[in-house]
Amino acid sequence: MNPRLLVAAGPVLALAALSLGGCSKEIIDPSRQIGADPFLPAPRQFLLPPMGIANVVGWKDGQTPTVPAGFTITAFASDLAGPRRVLGLPNGDVLVVESGGPGLEGVNRPKDIIYRMVLSDSHAGKAPANDLLLLRDTDGDGRADQKVVLARNLDSPFGIVVNGGHLYVAETGDILRWDFTPGQTSLGKPVKLTDLPKGTIDHHWTKDLTISPDGSRLYAGVGSNSNIVENGLNAEEGRAAIWEIHPEDGAKRIYASGLRNPNGLTFNPTSGQLWTVVNGRDELGNDLVPDYMTHVQDGAFYGWPWSYYGQHVDKRVKPANPAMVKKAIPPDYALSSHVAALGLTFENGSAFPAQYKGGAFVGEHGSWDREKPNGYQVAFVPFANGKPSGKAVTFVGGFTDKDFTVRGRPVGVGFDASGALLIADDGGNVVWRVAAKTRAPAGAKPPAH
Amino acid sequence: MSEPIRPKATIGGIPIHAMFVPFPIVCFIGALVTDIAYAQTANIQWSNFSAWLIAFGTLFAGIAAIFGAIDFFFGSHDRPAIGWVHMIGNLTLFVVALVNNFVHARDGWTSVVPTGLTLSVISVLILIVTGHLGHRLSFYHVVVGDRR
Repeated sequence: MNPRLLVAAGPVLALAALSLGGCSKEIIDPSRQIGADPFLPAPRQFLLPPMGIANVVGWKDGQTPTVPAGFTITAFASDLAGPRRVLGLPNGDVLVVESGGPGLEGVNRPKDIIYRMVLSDSHAGKAPANDLLLLRDTDGDGRADQKVVLARNLDSPFGIVVNGGHLYVAETGDILRWDFTPGQTSLGKPVKLTDLPKGTIDHHWTKDLTISPDGSRLYAGVGSNSNIVENGLNAEEGRAAIWEIHPEDGAKRIYASGLRNPNGLTFNPTSGQLWTVVNGRDELGNDLVPDYMTHVQDGAFYGWPWSYYGQHVDKRVKPANPAMVKKAIPPDYALSSHVAALGLTFENGSAFPAQYKGGAFVGEHGSWDREKPNGYQVAFVPFANGKPSGKAVTFVGGFTDKDFTVRGRPVGVGFDASGALLIADDGGNVVWRVAAKTRAPAGAKPPAH
Repeated sequence: MSEPIRPKATIGGIPIHAMFVPFPIVCFIGALVTDIAYAQTANIQWSNFSAWLIAFGTLFAGIAAIFGAIDFFFGSHDRPAIGWVHMIGNLTLFVVALVNNFVHARDGWTSVVPTGLTLSVISVLILIVTGHLGHRLSFYHVVVGDRR
């Protein structure tokens, strides 16, 4: 026995083991996972999951995202602190929510320390505020020239709704309500309408909010408390769900569940149905699981945590629950894997050309659990009769390079009163405004002032 | 009877290697116990225990290895065969434990069953052999100077 040969065996074994973890992470074209019937590869597990971490560098002066021919893009407001939600008011004012996570999640495993270090680059250098802003463009040049802080130091706010003389803001632990009429530039004292699940972990902390077209019910998205119940099932009480809330007394119930991280809650103006975009589970491979958008049925269960995309069982969840898997229904439309869809709005009488009528705009924050970037754009999905009617395409791009040099990260999207699309970019700290160059065709709603 | 090995890295005459060696032994055996507990109950706390035990076991195994190597290569010109086996066995254990850290970093059931648990079993099996050889080295070669 030659001892020196044996000494060499250790490192060789180490290399062999590492290459086992590093190799054969296949990657497919995201277009195969767009639409009603996405291609789903077999789930894979790794020693080191596929990763590509955004290096957020921000926008240089004069740099903007790209838009299709026939549109212009301008920075409606810049130098913000973590803008994540935008809401255009009928009088032309724009509400913006700046927010950052509550930072409650502790270190439960050695992995948490590593992930914290690895993911720290993927946010803007400037710390986010937790404020509600009102932006006003008094001279109509497409840039806000007035900025008022309506509410300061909120508890990780996210969703905003203005309806029937009230302003509602979903903080991460509750919904606040103020008396508010568009045009107001200051607020009184809020009342707490109801609590939302927050707890001591609050992994997916963004609580989005919308209201039914008749103003009778609010809907709040509450994301899961983990990637895939690694904090235990008890931590998931009331989470991975959309709650229905009475806007006057705050009475509430779970409207739909099994939605891992639902955001972009919006009613489709044609069908009157509630829609959401949902972030799927991580660490099953470059191309699992596709994020999706779907209309949300009352009482429906969409699979999380036991299954994904309908009834594809996730074997990481024990004890298994075949009865719940059987109940799981598939969502309507896949957006491809790890795009991190966080914003959704429907075109509704804007100044956009005919092919965009009634379609969906999706704010995709961008991937980390994938070796090549996916998302990092505002996607457009054509709709007909309130249903998706074609392939998603990039509407606003240029947020990242192939090497993850990231200038901005889109989150919330919404139309302003003039019919331009606003995009909250929490990587570049900008609210972008995308306007059609030509005037609206006959029949479209004229811009309000 | 040959000369006893004289450990080089010592504090007050006690080899530093010997001070660190109990850590990985306890950690890796503990991780096997908590892995079994998780496989039996699916209670996530046990898999968290395992992840920490394997992480600290690997860290202290690395430290112990450095001082062990100093003693072995610089403490004596006379290196017994079981010393080589002890070292190579433990280097293999180190690699297995390193891989086991990554497996235990997965989320949920597959962080333990079946790969993580299997690697924890292999770790303890290697430990039984290398631990025994380590004790023989210290009791016979260091203390008595007897080559058995």
